[in-house]
Amino acid sequence: MKDLARRVIFSLTTFVALAAVSFLGVDALPGDGCTALLGRFGSPAKVEACRAENQLNNPVLVRLRDWSYDLARGDLGYSIKRDEQVLKIILPRLRNTAIMGAVAALLAFPSAIAVGLMLGRYPRSRIGRAINQLSVIAMTLPEFVIATMLWLLLSIWIPLFPGVNVVPSNATVLQLLPNVWLPALTLAAVIFAHAMRTMRASVAIIQTMPFVESARLRGTKERVTIARHILPAALPPVVNVIAVDGAWLLTGTFVTEAVFNYQGLGRLAIDAISDRDTALILPIVLFGLAVYLAASLSADMCVRLLDPRLRTAGQ
Amino acid sequence: MAIITDVRRIRKTTLAFVAVASIAGALASCGRTPTVSGVLRVGNDAGFGGAETMDPYDGNRTWPTINMVFDRLVGVDKNFSPVAELALSWSSNEDLTEWTLQLREGVKFHDGSVFDADDVVYSIERMIDPEFDSPIRAVLGVISSAETVSPYQVKLTLATGEADLPLLLADYRALMTPVDSQATIGKNPIGTGPFKMQTFDPAGTTVLLANEGYFFGSPKLQRIEIITFADSQSASQALAGDQVDLLLSIDGKSAQMFGDKSKFTLQTIPSGDWNAIDFRVDQVPFGDARVRKALRIAADRQIIADTVLGAGGGVVACDTPVWSADPYRWNGLCPQDTEGAKALLAEAGYPDGIDIEIFTSDVEVHMIELVTAYKDQVKDAGIRVTIKMADASGFWDDVWMKEPAFVDSWGQRPATQVLNEVYRSTATWNPTGQVDETLDQMLDEARATKDQAERKAKYTKIQERLFENSAIFLPYHKTLTRAMGSKVKGIEPIVIDAVRWEKISVK
Repeated sequence: MKDLARRVIFSLTTFVALAAVSFLGVDALPGDGCTALLGRFGSPAKVEACRAENQLNNPVLVRLRDWSYDLARGDLGYSIKRDEQVLKIILPRLRNTAIMGAVAALLAFPSAIAVGLMLGRYPRSRIGRAINQLSVIAMTLPEFVIATMLWLLLSIWIPLFPGVNVVPSNATVLQLLPNVWLPALTLAAVIFAHAMRTMRASVAIIQTMPFVESARLRGTKERVTIARHILPAALPPVVNVIAVDGAWLLTGTFVTEAVFNYQGLGRLAIDAISDRDTALILPIVLFGLAVYLAASLSADMCVRLLDPRLRTAGQ
Repeated sequence: MAIITDVRRIRKTTLAFVAVASIAGALASCGRTPTVSGVLRVGNDAGFGGAETMDPYDGNRTWPTINMVFDRLVGVDKNFSPVAELALSWSSNEDLTEWTLQLREGVKFHDGSVFDADDVVYSIERMIDPEFDSPIRAVLGVISSAETVSPYQVKLTLATGEADLPLLLADYRALMTPVDSQATIGKNPIGTGPFKMQTFDPAGTTVLLANEGYFFGSPKLQRIEIITFADSQSASQALAGDQVDLLLSIDGKSAQMFGDKSKFTLQTIPSGDWNAIDFRVDQVPFGDARVRKALRIAADRQIIADTVLGAGGGVVACDTPVWSADPYRWNGLCPQDTEGAKALLAEAGYPDGIDIEIFTSDVEVHMIELVTAYKDQVKDAGIRVTIKMADASGFWDDVWMKEPAFVDSWGQRPATQVLNEVYRSTATWNPTGQVDETLDQMLDEARATKDQAERKAKYTKIQERLFENSAIFLPYHKTLTRAMGSKVKGIEPIVIDAVRWEKISVK
């Protein structure tokens, strides 16, 4: 438990430090909310008036202090450019990305573990090696290639799904659902390969271990050997991959969302960056940070629960 | 940003690669959200990322939606000549400083109120208000006051004679809004135009309904949906999949996606949009007119246009900002003259050529390709170019008008506007800092000349002078490619300013 508390404190400290660095980094970028709003032909006088109105003229450390204070109270700030509270802009997009990520995770992870287990048990089989090679291709192809191919296949040739999303960010889940499949399949293709390959390698090693051998020699049923002995021992590396890929599903979907015009956090981030909407960029960066820290923390905890050696090591 | 642009670029190649396959596949496809008769779905880019407003005088006005909801006083026809819209006729005094406009009677705003001279005066006053500082002030700032003569007659007084005031009034933003609408117009626009606003959602889907009883005739469409795309490639995918009907401008290079004539109509339209490389005259060596001319004649403009825009993607310009369909266009010749450029450089004291730095950025498409193509074109004349990449996010603030040489990009403007807005010595956005009092005087004389032929002669002289003396290398005007489903009828292959939205139909 002490160890866990130490991990949590470490994660929180990392978050606070990186948040401050992010603030200063984004602040150092050329342009601010006012130049973003007024654009190429904004006169210096108008930009100055806008800065004064939004307290952008304060020294950077004063603004960092005000911003941290607001953040601590749950106020993410205000987008001058979009004339809207940042939270109100982000929430519906976060929901959309989460739905898409959940669908992708459900499509990819259970099947990846099942297929990995199967292939890992027969690592020398020809079919197994062929599938493994194919998944290397899926891993190395850029997402926009996978996305474009899926679009061509499942929207143009076989018109199953809408090619690109045309419903707004605040559409109901029911309106959104038909549009989720193509981006979710794209993401699933990428993460399936990661998780499946890790599982396959892990199972291949574990099943030759003495404790598996001895279970088999004791005459334990194969089904029980897999469930009790192989799976718990083979899963920890996969859990780590799932944690990292799961975090990626929430924070790394820029390209996929752009290709399918999907109204999620990734597309918002691209828009915010190209519009120089710094007030909006920062919370998205912080969100990504928090997701990765939380994912790595929970992966550690899961592995601890799965692996009896780690469970007792701290005591 | 750089990563995103790279990704877009690679995607473009991928899309081109699969285009041939997609045409074959599209034949077998029946589409997911098929065309509905009477509804036009327009794909639009997210121009101002959520800052869009329906206030036509605001810098973040959302186009083309404003032109469906509001009308101008004066429109343009396909030859870019002024035609009646809300004003039926116009006339001026002898020195072109006072204009009287006769307004159309019986026109109603979408809320049922009557359009009259008070609305015109209110609209014009907002456009020229120095405090509000609308971008359209750069066009109509020449108007010093507007007053009501009678309920359907307005008098405009100008600071200086301007023969082409009707053309300036045909600017796509010079739209008529009702009295006292400033506070509400951004989100709840009330216009006189062919379509009324139902839902305004610039980041998602904006819905417009037909304005039955529109004075040019009821629209043939029941509804227009304007759907926003973050990425131009996904907009192209939407057209390919029959999810939108019309894309006002596509990258010429993705045109091959829409080669199937039974399903798509492509239109190529010469426009007045241009790119340029600007040289600050207050920096050595660009203060020397001989160096400037050498920099401009050393390049083959046709090759630059073909390289940057694709074959047929542009119309060559000899450093004139006046575009090909403008009645005042000077069609001089400006072939590449490497020897002439060398001689001019030698005469200016650079017998061994010069080294220059040109700043560019991926802030707009074509900007990097332009400098790359230019560098290649001028090296034989002894002009050695170093390309400096600037970050897109600071380009307009820190590079444009500030570095010694940089790329530039402007939208279409009538001759009198672009010359006065960009080239006049005192213009706010004169990017090169060039002061040429003779040019200023010629501009004053040209705009104050009442006779059309005489005026054209004067504008021709001005453009010839630019080719001798200007610090702006302007190699081409862009040709736009418009793409639509073949069920869309009534859009002529003309500039969008001249398209009549009420005449469009979808079968």
